[in-house]
Parts: sequence; structure tokens; C-alpha cells
Amino acid sequence: MGVIDGCAGDCRPRVGVYALTSCYGCQLKLATVSKIMEIADTVSFESFYMLSSASKMPADVDVAFVEGSVSTEKDLEELFEIRKHSRILVALGACSVNGGVQSWSEGEMNHDQLHAIVYGEEKIGMKSLQATPISKHVEVDYYLPGCPPEEDEIMYFISAFLFGTFPEPKDYPVCAECRLAGNPCILIERGEPCLGPVTTAGCKARCITFNVPCIGCRGPVPHNTAWFDSLAMTFKEKGISEELVRHRFRIFGAHNPDLEPMLDKIYKGGK
Amino acid sequence: MRYVKISKQDTYEFLERLKKIGTLYAPHKVSEKFYDFCEVDDVKDVEFDYQRTIRPPRRFFYPEREVLFTFDTHKVELYENLPSKEKQILFGVHSCDIVALRTMDSKFMDDQPDPYYKVRRDNGIVIGISCVPDEYCFCNVRRVEFVDTGFDLFFHELPDGYLVRVGTVVGHKLIDPYEGEIFKEVCPDDVENMSKFEEKRASMFTTTGNWDTLRYFMEMRLDHPMYMRESEKCLGCGNCTLTCPSCKCYDVQDIPSIDGRTGERIRYWDSCQFRSHGLVAGNHNFRETKLDRFHNRYQCKNSYCKDTTTSFCVGCGRCTYFCPAGIQFKENLMEIAGYKGGTT
Repeated sequence: MGVIDGCAGDCRPRVGVYALTSCYGCQLKLATVSKIMEIADTVSFESFYMLSSASKMPADVDVAFVEGSVSTEKDLEELFEIRKHSRILVALGACSVNGGVQSWSEGEMNHDQLHAIVYGEEKIGMKSLQATPISKHVEVDYYLPGCPPEEDEIMYFISAFLFGTFPEPKDYPVCAECRLAGNPCILIERGEPCLGPVTTAGCKARCITFNVPCIGCRGPVPHNTAWFDSLAMTFKEKGISEELVRHRFRIFGAHNPDLEPMLDKIYKGGK
Repeated sequence: MRYVKISKQDTYEFLERLKKIGTLYAPHKVSEKFYDFCEVDDVKDVEFDYQRTIRPPRRFFYPEREVLFTFDTHKVELYENLPSKEKQILFGVHSCDIVALRTMDSKFMDDQPDPYYKVRRDNGIVIGISCVPDEYCFCNVRRVEFVDTGFDLFFHELPDGYLVRVGTVVGHKLIDPYEGEIFKEVCPDDVENMSKFEEKRASMFTTTGNWDTLRYFMEMRLDHPMYMRESEKCLGCGNCTLTCPSCKCYDVQDIPSIDGRTGERIRYWDSCQFRSHGLVAGNHNFRETKLDRFHNRYQCKNSYCKDTTTSFCVGCGRCTYFCPAGIQFKENLMEIAGYKGGTT
């Protein structure tokens, strides 16, 4: 169902941009796209603290963009409120989609241990939680990955909602975009542990174009087509240790349930 | 056919003159191990001796992404976006890639011409160059190691220049103004040298034998254990198909703009290695597993060739050379068909 159904072009879709625990980089990206004035003319920002102090929390909106991971009790309460007041909920950016770098320790140590390492005996003014992607707690309609998301994808998502259609997700890896960009393959040429083959496309191989191996900020390719096992096998053949491979994969993909079984299969001969 | 000769030095002069006709593209070394067709700025950067480019030459006629038309949903109108008739000159195309372009023509030109492809192809100039194979090349068993047609000019390496075969009227017109100046008459020594080059080249192929039965074995051994074993290694990244000079699959998408009214329809290269390639309405997928998708490429490249009779695979070696997982396409085909010839 289209966002502007029943409007006949007269009303402006209501949009909210919210942040849970994050660096606010995603909403900064959204606030600074080159066509932000056109977006502001077309939609009504009911809540977007970076742009307007008249923002409400929560507000009744047609589309909510939520950045950040759920890392505190307050995050969780806010997220439930946002979901209740939004027709469409979009996870915006790496933290929201996959938990982000702050969820790196997921599965490695429990939350109490982590808390003790970070804060020691000090009391803090909030109840912290293990950082998790928002989809662990509420129904998410669309995912807009990236750290931060790409401008053309932000424009595509908003435009698609305005059209009354939906944004089509990408289900192929950065590796494909990299070759189309004419980049030499740094995995083949230099044996660097590049995560391009398992990471969702959309960035047009931004890092590799600058000769830096992909660290997977856009998260694993959806629909169970991120083949960690095949990539781990490739890394293993190049002499890269299991520990390094695990750390690489976990930077932005600690919540992926396929990760550990696939690593075990290659390095320990499991199924 | 007309034959002329050009010296190495004059070849640079010829390239300079080609730049005045249109946009000139030629192989450049882009990193330690990789080459790519790039727009020629300084003719001294052109690589005459290279194995294979990252991106196949088809992209000059069928770009990775192109806007087919723009539309306005309120006015209910669409505005065609046909490519310009600007000349594109490809210098230094190997015979395998020239044959691959002809298999592209079989789908994009012969039956129902694709207007976007046709405009670019009609305004394209293809200049071939001879090469020597490395261990990834198997164009010889694909029977495309020497081309008769599909090029305007073809440069054959000689110790002191190139023997040039002229393939089309366009090719004649490139030669005519410079005949006697930079293009000279071919002498018997040049022919002798070309003959020696071809003889040496033929001896360098690591794969030998007759592969004419391949497509039938591919069809009859659909359940060969190779598929399961090798698809386990596959990353599903699509590099094999995106670097392939004869892959044709594309997807089409409407990209709306922020005014909520206009937009553009784009066409971009798809890959049968992606999940969405076989995805249709109702969430049904013709090729649901990685194995299905892996299988499809092997069949398509070798058996789906009723129009061309020659396989779509031209033995350029890109799919193996650019596979991050190191999957050996040629060896896998030989395993299915039971060929032994020249295994290294």
C-alpha cells in the first residue's frame, strides 16, 4: 500500500527520523543529502531532532527511519513507541540493521562481563543491554544498510514511498559492484581478507576503490546468500587464521546466526 | 582480404589519428596483475601485450547500467533516451572477445534488434590484436583462436611492426588516407613472420584436443558430482558472469524521483549467480539454491547455443582468473566431458 494513497497528491507524507544508540551519522547523512530542501518540501518531518526542535517523540508518521542499535532499556521503550506510531518502519544504517560495531561482543561474552569491562564499579544513569539490531524487538518493514547509508539509496527509498511503491532490496554482494567498477581484486592480487563477496551491495565498492579491503559495514547479503563458509575456505587457503577471519566477520556481522556454524565447518571440519 | 603493414612507431601515430575520429579505448595496465579497457589519453599508455581485461568489451555497446527512458506519470508520457551516434573505437581486442561480441549480436541484433545496443554497435569500430595464450586460455578448443570476421582491422604482431588484416569497409576507410604513408605494402618476409608467430602461438596452448562433443556431455551428465563439489566453494559473487565477454542477462528497474511524479527506467547487468535472477511473482524461484545457479552458468555457456552453434564460452579464461574462490572452469568442464588433452 502506498504511503500517499488517499491523498490525491494534496497531502504531504509524514516522516520521522529517530536515533537509538548510535553516532548520529546516519541522520546526519540524511540531513545533508544534496536534495534535502526538496525532500523537506515534499514530506512533513514530524520528528527529526537534527533539523527541527519542534520535533515530537513519538509522532504519528507514515514512515519512520530508525538509526542505532537497541543498547539500553530506554532505547527499547522508545523503539516500541516508534513502532506503534508508524505505518512503515525502516531500519537506517549498520547499527539498526545488524547491531553495528557495538554488538561485536555478542555471543563472545555475556552482558554482565561486558558491562564490568566498560564501566567497572561505576554507576551509570541508565540500564544497558547487549546491543542488538532493531529487528530483534519489533517488525521492520525495510532495511537501508550502510555506515552511513549511501545518498542514492536514501533518495531511492524516500522516492519509492512517495510513489506509493516499495524499495527493492539488493541481494547481491559488493564484490559484483567492485568488478563492474573495474577495480583490480585485492583478494586475488594481494590476498587481503576482503569481505566484498559476502557483504550487501549498494556502496559501489567505495572502500576497495580506494584500495582498502571491505570490512562488511553493509552487513551480510540477505536471504541466506552470504556464503561465509566459502569465503572462509578461500581465506584459509591464503593462510589467514580462523581468529582473524572471525574478527573480520564479526565487526559488522556478529548477530548473523550462520556465521559460527559456517566458520566451524571450514576450520574445524564440522557440518 | 586486404593486407597492409605498419611499423611499431607508426602504430602510435595511427592511434593519435584514431583519437580524432571518436573516443578511443584500449587496454591499460591498472595494477600488478590486471588490465582493463580505458579511454586513451596518452597513446604511450596503451598495452599491446596483455592477457585479458577485467571488464569485457561488450560494455561499450551494452553498458553495465543505462537509462532506457524517463517518464512522467502525471502526463502519462515517456521520453526515449537513445544513445548518441558518437564513434567509439576499441583498439586491441583479442579474437576471443571479437567472437564474444558476435554472440552478443546474435541476441541483441539478429532477430529483434535492441535499439540501444544497435546504435552503439553501428557506431563502433573494433580493432583486433594478436596475442599469445597463458594457462587460463582455451580459445583454441573453442575454435575461436583466429577470427575471420567481426573486426574492422586486425593487427598481427611482427618483429618490426604489425601485419594488418582489413575486415570491413569501415576498416578500408581507416587505412585509405594513410596508404603509402604509415601503412605500407606487405612483403614476403612479413608473411613468413606472421606464419612463424601463428605456429609458435599454436604450440603454446596448454589445452589440446577436440571439444566438439562438450555440449552433449554437458546435457547428458546433469547430475555430475563436480557440480555439488565445486558449488560448495562458490561465493555467489557474480564475478564470473560480470567479467564474461558473452553474458547477456540484464534486469530492468524503475527509479522514481523525489517529485513523486517522474522517474527513469534503467537496465543493468544481472547475473544468474544472484538469487533474484530466477525470482518471479509469488516468491517462486526457478533457481533456488546456489547449486542450481552454479549449474545454470555451466549449461548456458556450453549448451544453450542453438542460434550460434558455437558455444557462448569463448575460452578467454576470465571466469577462472577473476574467481576469488579459485574455481577452475576449464578443468571442471574437462572433468564432465572426460577430456584429458593437455592437462597441466
